[in-house]
Amino acid sequence: MTPALGSVSLRHRLILAFAAVALMVSAVFAASTYLLARGYLLAQRERVVQHQAMADAEFVQQRLESAGADISEVLTSAGPPAENTIILRWQGKWYTSELGTERDTVPSALRSDIEAGNAAHQRFRTDDGPAVAIGVPLPSVGAEFYEVAPLTELEGILRLLSAILIGGAVLATTAGAALGAWASRSVVTPLNRVAATAAKIAGGHLDSRLPATQDPELTTIVGSFNSMVDTLQQRIERDARLAADVSHELRSPLTTLVASVDLLNARRFELHPRSRHALDLVTADLDRFRRLLDDLLELARSDAGLDRVPSDTVDLGLLLKHVLTEIGADPGLLAGPVEVETTGDKARLGRLFRNLFENAERHGGGLTSVQISRVDEDIVVTVDDHGDGVPGLDRERIFDRFATGRNSRGSSSGTGLGLALVAETAAAHRGAVWCAEAPGGGARFVVRLLEADR
Amino acid sequence: MPLQVLVVEDDDRIRAVLRLALEDEGYEVAEAGDAETALALAHAAMPDLMIVDLMLGATDGYTCIREIRRSSDIPIVVVSARSDTHDIVAGLEAGADDYVTKPFQVKEITARLRALRRRLRTAVEAAEPDLFLDSDPRRSLVLSRARGAARLDGEDVPLTVTEFRLLSELAQAPGRVLSRPALLEAVWQHGFYGDERIVDVHIRRLRTKIERDPGQPRIVVTVRGLGYRLDLQ
Repeated sequence: MTPALGSVSLRHRLILAFAAVALMVSAVFAASTYLLARGYLLAQRERVVQHQAMADAEFVQQRLESAGADISEVLTSAGPPAENTIILRWQGKWYTSELGTERDTVPSALRSDIEAGNAAHQRFRTDDGPAVAIGVPLPSVGAEFYEVAPLTELEGILRLLSAILIGGAVLATTAGAALGAWASRSVVTPLNRVAATAAKIAGGHLDSRLPATQDPELTTIVGSFNSMVDTLQQRIERDARLAADVSHELRSPLTTLVASVDLLNARRFELHPRSRHALDLVTADLDRFRRLLDDLLELARSDAGLDRVPSDTVDLGLLLKHVLTEIGADPGLLAGPVEVETTGDKARLGRLFRNLFENAERHGGGLTSVQISRVDEDIVVTVDDHGDGVPGLDRERIFDRFATGRNSRGSSSGTGLGLALVAETAAAHRGAVWCAEAPGGGARFVVRLLEADR
Repeated sequence: MPLQVLVVEDDDRIRAVLRLALEDEGYEVAEAGDAETALALAHAAMPDLMIVDLMLGATDGYTCIREIRRSSDIPIVVVSARSDTHDIVAGLEAGADDYVTKPFQVKEITARLRALRRRLRTAVEAAEPDLFLDSDPRRSLVLSRARGAARLDGEDVPLTVTEFRLLSELAQAPGRVLSRPALLEAVWQHGFYGDERIVDVHIRRLRTKIERDPGQPRIVVTVRGLGYRLDLQ
């Protein structure tokens, strides 16, 4: 296949192919029909004219053999059909049955044949249209007899025939193209359905399947596709279950640990200072462990496509102020129109911003500003810090899981999953997050979220 | 006299640490490792509060809660190792008043229990006049805050403490819309990240008990996007 045709869609290629085949078949059919018909009609016409000419020649010969014949009377009484003309060369002179017909009308090639004494015929073209001339030598009276018959009527018939045949070919080609369109639709429609279903599945609708079909050839494809999706769904659900099971198994011992450490902390004043120090270490790492587990579980769930974000209305200004207070930062850092609402999961959005703020506090030299703004129909929150910024090359990489930058950004929650979770949460809320440079040279994280319908 | 808490949890160690933590808070603790023991104890010992793990052995926590709810309106806090919506809502639908997810901190669970105790107290201590929620003579519904009960045609409606508190909160200002976060704070004392589904589940349960047609509620009305409102009939 040529590259030019390769870029044409399957649908159009099928239509073109059907039309081309229809055109070829109908053209061959039309051409052969025309040629056969033309040959047959011409031969028949010539035979008729020839018979007529022979009869007329014989009559003229008989009359000329009788002495004292008046040539014009002979030609008139020969009585050829109205459209035919008799031309006679007798005793070196030319005679014709019709005024205005010259001897030049007879083609010279025919004349030389007749002069040589052979009967012959020839088709030629006159000013009035095609004609056929029959030549008969009459040696007994020293004359040359020619009869000229027009073929105009035949030509008309042939023209009509060719018009009909061309029309038929055009009709057949159109019908071929239409058939191609129909065939391509019946091929492309199931393909489109497969594509649409695949897109839906990719979009997280794991329950989507192709509808059953009666077509035996499509049944195989539909069956294979559906069983492939079944397997995929089973695997995804198994993975998700595994994550849930693992987290469940981990949560029980973790519960005992967290609660026991809480109890110890409640009685920390009874402990030796060295034990107290050890308890602090356990407490800190237990907290980290707990958050790692939460982060992992949440990522596992979003990987499994089980991420259903509720559409609760969330007061974003209030949320940001709350998160700022939670991490011990000044709520006054928040600027911009704070009365904006988005939809989603309050707890997860809170975690998103908490991760960003803690990232700025731990790795960005401290939070400098949190700005809310409206851009088109979206809400944009920019989080700036004091640090050295993030090098251009790292600005995408820091959102990878367990990515560690030069200054170990990305592990804002100390788990190496903080910014990855920020990106996943933003995406789950149909928003986005990216990293840029703050005016003061620090890092700027920009979160875009959809504004809630009012 | 200290309040008695029944801890239903199949993990011995979690049970042990909960006992320690709750005893530190001044509760008397009874333990059950499975649903059968829990049901027997709930009937025999008449605890004031219950903590139930949803993942138990043969009989799961949901069944255990449903079974207890048939005869008792004791406040129940569910403990779940899964934070999936499905499990939590199912626990609440079964009749639980509140929930915490594992791993929880001691202060979370004691805060939940404190809120429930407060509900117990306010329910009993309030001495306000009765309020006619539905004045239809064929189907009169009266909220008696002094008695901590609602009466439908002279008979007490079996409301749980939480349902009663929720109804009382809405009845504080009939005709005024109360947002979900406001109800969460007032009834459950959940913090900023409180789960609003808990309100919806309890409203649903409340409606099945007091509405003529729970499918088309007329007393506790949903105000789209804002919250709930109590309309006196």
